[in-house]
Amino acid sequence: MAFDRLFNLGFDLVTSISVLALVSVGLAITFGMRGIINLAHGEFIMLGAFATLTGVRNGLNTWVAMLAAAVAVGVFGIIVERLLIRWLYARLADTMLATWGLSLVMVQVIENIYGSVTEGIAVPVGDFSVGNYSMSTYNVVLMGAAVACVLVTYAVMRHTRYGLHARASVQSPSMAESLGVNTSRINMWTFGFGASLAGAAGAVLAPLVGVIPTMGQTFVARSFMTVIVGGPAFVAGPVSASGLLGFIENVSTNLFTPVIGQAMLLIAAIVILRFLPQGLTGQRSLR
Amino acid sequence: MNAGTARFRSQQAGSARGSVRNDTAAAAAAFAVVAVLANLVEEFTAFEWTLWATQAILALSLTLVWGQGGIFSLGQAAIYGVGGYTYGFWAINLADNTGETMSAVLAAVAAGTIVAALLGYFMFYGNVTDVYVAIITLATSLVLFAFVNSTSGTAYRIGDAPFGGYNGMTRIPRLTVRLPGAESYMLTRTQFFLVCAAAGLVIAVVIRVIARRPFGRVSVALQHNELRTELLGYDVRRHKLALFTVGGAIAGFAGALFAAWGRFISPPVFSLAPAALVVIWVLVGGRTSVAGAFVGVLVVKGFSSWFGGASGDNEPIVLGLLLIVIVLALPGGIVPSLGRTRSRISRFLASRSRASAADAPVPSQNLDRVLEVLSDTGSEDRGHRIAVRGVTKQFGGLAAVNDVTLAFPSRGVSCLIGPNGAGKSTLLALLSGQLRTTSGAVTLDDHDLTKWHPYRRARGGVGIKLQVASIYKALTARENLWLACYAKSRSIESARTRSSELLEWLGLSDDAERPAGTLSHGQQQWLEVGMVVAGEPSVVLLDEPTAGMTRDETERTAALVAQLGERASVIVVEHDMEFVRRLDAPIAVLHMGSLFAQGSFEQLSRDERIIDIYLGGRHADAASE
Repeated sequence: MAFDRLFNLGFDLVTSISVLALVSVGLAITFGMRGIINLAHGEFIMLGAFATLTGVRNGLNTWVAMLAAAVAVGVFGIIVERLLIRWLYARLADTMLATWGLSLVMVQVIENIYGSVTEGIAVPVGDFSVGNYSMSTYNVVLMGAAVACVLVTYAVMRHTRYGLHARASVQSPSMAESLGVNTSRINMWTFGFGASLAGAAGAVLAPLVGVIPTMGQTFVARSFMTVIVGGPAFVAGPVSASGLLGFIENVSTNLFTPVIGQAMLLIAAIVILRFLPQGLTGQRSLR
Repeated sequence: MNAGTARFRSQQAGSARGSVRNDTAAAAAAFAVVAVLANLVEEFTAFEWTLWATQAILALSLTLVWGQGGIFSLGQAAIYGVGGYTYGFWAINLADNTGETMSAVLAAVAAGTIVAALLGYFMFYGNVTDVYVAIITLATSLVLFAFVNSTSGTAYRIGDAPFGGYNGMTRIPRLTVRLPGAESYMLTRTQFFLVCAAAGLVIAVVIRVIARRPFGRVSVALQHNELRTELLGYDVRRHKLALFTVGGAIAGFAGALFAAWGRFISPPVFSLAPAALVVIWVLVGGRTSVAGAFVGVLVVKGFSSWFGGASGDNEPIVLGLLLIVIVLALPGGIVPSLGRTRSRISRFLASRSRASAADAPVPSQNLDRVLEVLSDTGSEDRGHRIAVRGVTKQFGGLAAVNDVTLAFPSRGVSCLIGPNGAGKSTLLALLSGQLRTTSGAVTLDDHDLTKWHPYRRARGGVGIKLQVASIYKALTARENLWLACYAKSRSIESARTRSSELLEWLGLSDDAERPAGTLSHGQQQWLEVGMVVAGEPSVVLLDEPTAGMTRDETERTAALVAQLGERASVIVVEHDMEFVRRLDAPIAVLHMGSLFAQGSFEQLSRDERIIDIYLGGRHADAASE
């Protein structure tokens, strides 16, 4: 096989993995840290895409619109946490149902505002070619965004006071509280942070996918599988799982069809969980 | 939870056979009313009702799986879709030849059963729990959605029936019956409705009956404390698989009726909206209530057509808000909430007559008989020798138990002591099967238990009382013991008698009807010991049986342990040295995961090294915690 063909395949593969990492890192924060099953995660991504679209339509520079979208979805996440989620901590199934209700409402409200047709955002950069293959430079941006999101998450969780308090609140909420950590406030920021990462994912993906109100559905299952397969480590988990599942999805998509690629991702995830119930990074936890 | 508990209680109190008769009568009455109405209204109205009936059957499948078994499945609608497509394939290909579509309904039921069994196997045998089940079932639906959506074109077909891609499968035959030797007969719309309604009511009654059988009681127990249920000897995973598979059969059946009703099925049946709708029906009606399935379907239908606008465009908003409001304000659902008000009244009335009930004599109170059953059959050598050979348990880089070889006698008390973090509880967990060994073997007489699951070890005679009392806190003391006794005897009646005897033996008769969570700390510990004893174990593992007990309670526990030791091999982990001294039993000392010393209390208390590790160990632990 010629180098250019190999390069193209590899490029494609890394793109798939980056998309998975991008859509799941925000979920890993809310699910991994606070045990919140946010079924509206896909709709947060959708909201990020629509926010970008709105910004671009109103004359904002595309990159600025993307950043603004991430912030806007983060603010929306904080509002949702205060109004809805904070009543439901430690009630797993209930959070799931409530956020599901939220996702139904969000899809319909956006559809009422924007209609259900596909909206496009122009890809802000061009192409480059290696040998006979032409590839989109934007995919490089996508990879960069995925790496940036992971690094920012890691840095925030490891090196800020908020990150320390957040990790403490996960391990022992009552102990953290008695040491003077306002866990309720921490929960609010954590949910907002996760939402803003979802918004960023939606913003970055907006030029590549059809921006439609139901686009969240395509991401929610994949991102949940990635997070579960990844296990409890909130950075290493989604990254390792994205690598593995992204590889499986990409290879089977290339060999067969995108639908079979999605199915293989799911089947692989279920089989992995059958033998590693705690996920890829779960083996280090005691008991 | 509360509703489930209330149901559990009423099941135990009421006469089971009478309740079955009541349920059947209620269902028959409901059917009579519906039948009369169906013949009074236009045929088209009955046609519309048919859809609701199939939806109620779908909702019932979730009531069974989620309400009774605590398995939060979001895949019921997808299984319904699989049933619908299967009916379509079968009927389109074969109806012309056979002149009936009943076999297609059976095929749909089979398809639902198979899909649920496969999915259930991977989930439950992979120990996937709670919300993970929800996510996996949901993801499965969405993959099915993507797959079926992409099947347009003539390449995707089974026989004469194309999948149809996003347009769906059309021209599905209606429900047609044909008795042997008779002409085939296509049901009228009203008749079809009556068939669906009758099927729904029959399934509802069957679910009520299952709930009252031991199978249903174990399902409730499972929801409250899965670990304890397994340690009592119930095969938890098989139980969940069975429940989920039956749910799949019901959903597949409902799907067949749906396809026969609309003569059409399309991919959106696998999408998020129907999956959500099923949950909303059951949640609104009340997930623990069979009637709730029917009420939920009707109420949600009413709500969404009332507020959703004529075009139905805003239906998702209504449903979404309904979901949020129910979760925040009425988590139990409508029907159980009505029941709660009613039962509060009946409880008030009952409290008037309780005094006389409490004075009723307990059927059997022969203490010796309780102890006799421990050694059963009377043969003196029935105790088993449990042993570990070179076992190691690694947690990451830490060896919590490191190459320990120990054999316990078939009868009598043995003690296991050591400072915090010595690996005592880990060793007990390796004996009971909660943890798997990293290397080494666990044996019971000549059997190798190393790969046995906890429920198998429990059936083989290994019972454990955990460090933090693991009981069903929401169930009464009597129900706790009943579940433990039934795990062994598999007989409703003998379990009832045995649990009364055990209550007497434990001195809990006066508190038998209180939720176990409201008992005192010491009583909860005894209750758990009683549940272990109920399994007639030959090896009893007790992890800190006196934790949190008063001096008086500790002394009574010492007597109780000595009694047990006369019949079985009792292994006690304890920190209270006074208690250990009183037991006057051979002692093994663990330190840093390894076997450190063995001997009698007298011998060990003269050993300087042991005093060292205890005092030194304590200080080191305090610093590292």
